[in-house]
Amino acid sequence: MDTSTLKGLYRDMWLIRAFEQGLEREFEQGNVPGMLHTGLGQEATQAALAAHLEATDAFFPDHRCHGINALAQHRHGGNGERIMAELFGRATGVCSGKGGSLHSADPTVGNFGDNAVEGSYMATVLGVALAAKMRGEPNVACAIIGDGTVGRGEFHESLNMAAIWDLPVLYACVNNGYAISMPVGEGHATADIVELAKGYGIANQQVDGNDIVEAWTAVGDAVGRIRSGEGPYFLEFKTWRWQGIFAGEFRPEAEVKYWREERDPIMLAAEALAKRGATPAELDAIEAETRDLIEEWISFAKDSPAPDPAKATADVYAGWEVAAR
Amino acid sequence: MTVAADKPRRTARTPRKGKDRVRKTSFTQALNGALDLAMEKHDEMFLIGEDIAEMGGDFGVTKGLLAKYGAERVRDTPLSEAAIIGTCAGAAMVGMRPVAEIMFADFIAECYDQVVNNVAKLHYMFDGQFTAPLVIRTACGGGFGGGPHHSQSIEGWFLNVPGIVIAAPSNPVDAKGLLLASIDSDDPVLFLEHKALYRSRAEVPPEYYTTPLGKASIAREGRDVTVVAAMRMVPMALEAAETAAADGISVEVVDLRTIRPYDATTVLASASKTGRVVVANEAPRIGGLGAELSARISEECFAQLRGPVVRVDGLDTPIPFSVPLENIVLPDSDNIAVAIKAAAQY
Ligand SMILES: Cc1ncc(C[n+]2csc(CCOP(=O)(O)OP(=O)(O)O)c2C)c(N)n1
Ligand SMILES: [Mg+2]
Repeated sequence: MDTSTLKGLYRDMWLIRAFEQGLEREFEQGNVPGMLHTGLGQEATQAALAAHLEATDAFFPDHRCHGINALAQHRHGGNGERIMAELFGRATGVCSGKGGSLHSADPTVGNFGDNAVEGSYMATVLGVALAAKMRGEPNVACAIIGDGTVGRGEFHESLNMAAIWDLPVLYACVNNGYAISMPVGEGHATADIVELAKGYGIANQQVDGNDIVEAWTAVGDAVGRIRSGEGPYFLEFKTWRWQGIFAGEFRPEAEVKYWREERDPIMLAAEALAKRGATPAELDAIEAETRDLIEEWISFAKDSPAPDPAKATADVYAGWEVAAR
Repeated sequence: MTVAADKPRRTARTPRKGKDRVRKTSFTQALNGALDLAMEKHDEMFLIGEDIAEMGGDFGVTKGLLAKYGAERVRDTPLSEAAIIGTCAGAAMVGMRPVAEIMFADFIAECYDQVVNNVAKLHYMFDGQFTAPLVIRTACGGGFGGGPHHSQSIEGWFLNVPGIVIAAPSNPVDAKGLLLASIDSDDPVLFLEHKALYRSRAEVPPEYYTTPLGKASIAREGRDVTVVAAMRMVPMALEAAETAAADGISVEVVDLRTIRPYDATTVLASASKTGRVVVANEAPRIGGLGAELSARISEECFAQLRGPVVRVDGLDTPIPFSVPLENIVLPDSDNIAVAIKAAAQY
């Protein structure tokens, strides 16, 4: 990886972190409704995925993917602030505020939307991939899932069907060690999810999800293989989320300390860049720029109006109107 | 073109049975013809389900389509109901027009999440950015000794789900027209095929035509009592109407044809006209279609009603295997005839 690519990814990671931290602050102040799951600690995995997905591809983001959604929106649409506005439930959001954190979508940038029933889009992704294959398009359909999703029947139905039909699906399993409080090794027959992909005969790789160079290289390789018609590919990113559970932190103190202080993906990338000659001032400037940008997005969201009341009953059906109260 | 429902009632001019079979088309054949015409019309359409390709499906509805359209567009799957519907949803999101077969409606429980939380909400929750132009065909209903997992009426499972359309034909002509309309529709359609109707026959126009979704038909005109029904309850209601006619009661039968969104205009107009209403429904009573219709009619036609709306439903039980027991549980034309008499008292 050349240094300018690494610098670009470093900026992307900061954009994700600044986004999530800004959002957390606003959430705590009561400005963001609903529930909040952040991608903090998983920035390398997310930036690596976002870097290789084109607007013509389709990705299904999971509940921690505000960062990927914002990067796709920023890069392919030039309007990352619309993801922020969606999380605030405003008219200027990508779904006019009807989707929120767990259902932000914009197919024009490749974002096919989260489904808050975890793992259900493991089935949906098959159809997008099948359509691409039937039409002879070189597009990738990507499902970004947590380790918890492995327990769902659809996980297995999906891998099986993608395998028998050689579908262009990229499975990106973000194994952060826990599903809420359930450790991955207790919830599943194996703590190494790639073992399951092997059982279905799907090409796979286990990746250090906190190492941006390794993650970016692996995603690029997988996407290239899928585009050239080699069928599905399964990537497992070993990583760790900073967010505990709603009730607070439940993981051992030493584990928390290790991941936050020694395995922070942004810190690791900064070290790699420093080795390549980047100055602390240069790196600080990248952080400051992204934080400023996110503050602009937050202001945009806060200044945006609530959705038109007519939206409440709009689009239930394509062919029928639903009566207002 | 819209074609009125063929009345199963036999007249002096109806040809004898032998000839009848030569000229008339079965419900199954009508569906098969509709799929064939739609596959020709829509390049982006494909069929997906278990054993639908070479075998033509458990009921033969997709017979011959593999040979004509090939394995890319007529796709057999493993026993993966959630993946079948998920595949349809994803393909529909990018402009394909899939038609799935879920072998027995009872198995829809396996993909209930996909239908309810994904397919039905796609258009709304993403602010109209996606449509879900897919059809889920499935064989429902009892009356053949199929037992608890092959006999259920499942429309009630979806009545409370905004975003889904439920088509429910009662005869071969509507079966074809409604299926073609469902495939054309940009909304997701749950298409219910009552198993007891597969062998029913009628003169079905060979050409392409649609029967509009969301529009009921008057299967029989009458003055005294309205019976609202769908699917297999329609021929039963028509039979009961004959019985009532012998007693001097003139019965109007409304065939809903689409259960959701249903044609309230036609239902309420007929209820207002006769002032006496029976709603007939094969599924268990509580929380079912009959409950909704009864409530709506009572609420909106109160001034015109001469008596309470009378409901005919299945009993509040699972469907037993033994045919004599099943006959106790499921409603029939005699039950409807009794209900018509009860309504006519007022
Ligand atoms: C089908 C389903 N079951 C349960 C939940 C509630 N839930 C939300 S997130 C979550 C854990 C998901 O864990 P994982 O996939 O590992 O993602 P992580 O939060 O660790 O990133 C659960 C159980 C859900 N949303 N959907
Ligand atoms: Mg997890």
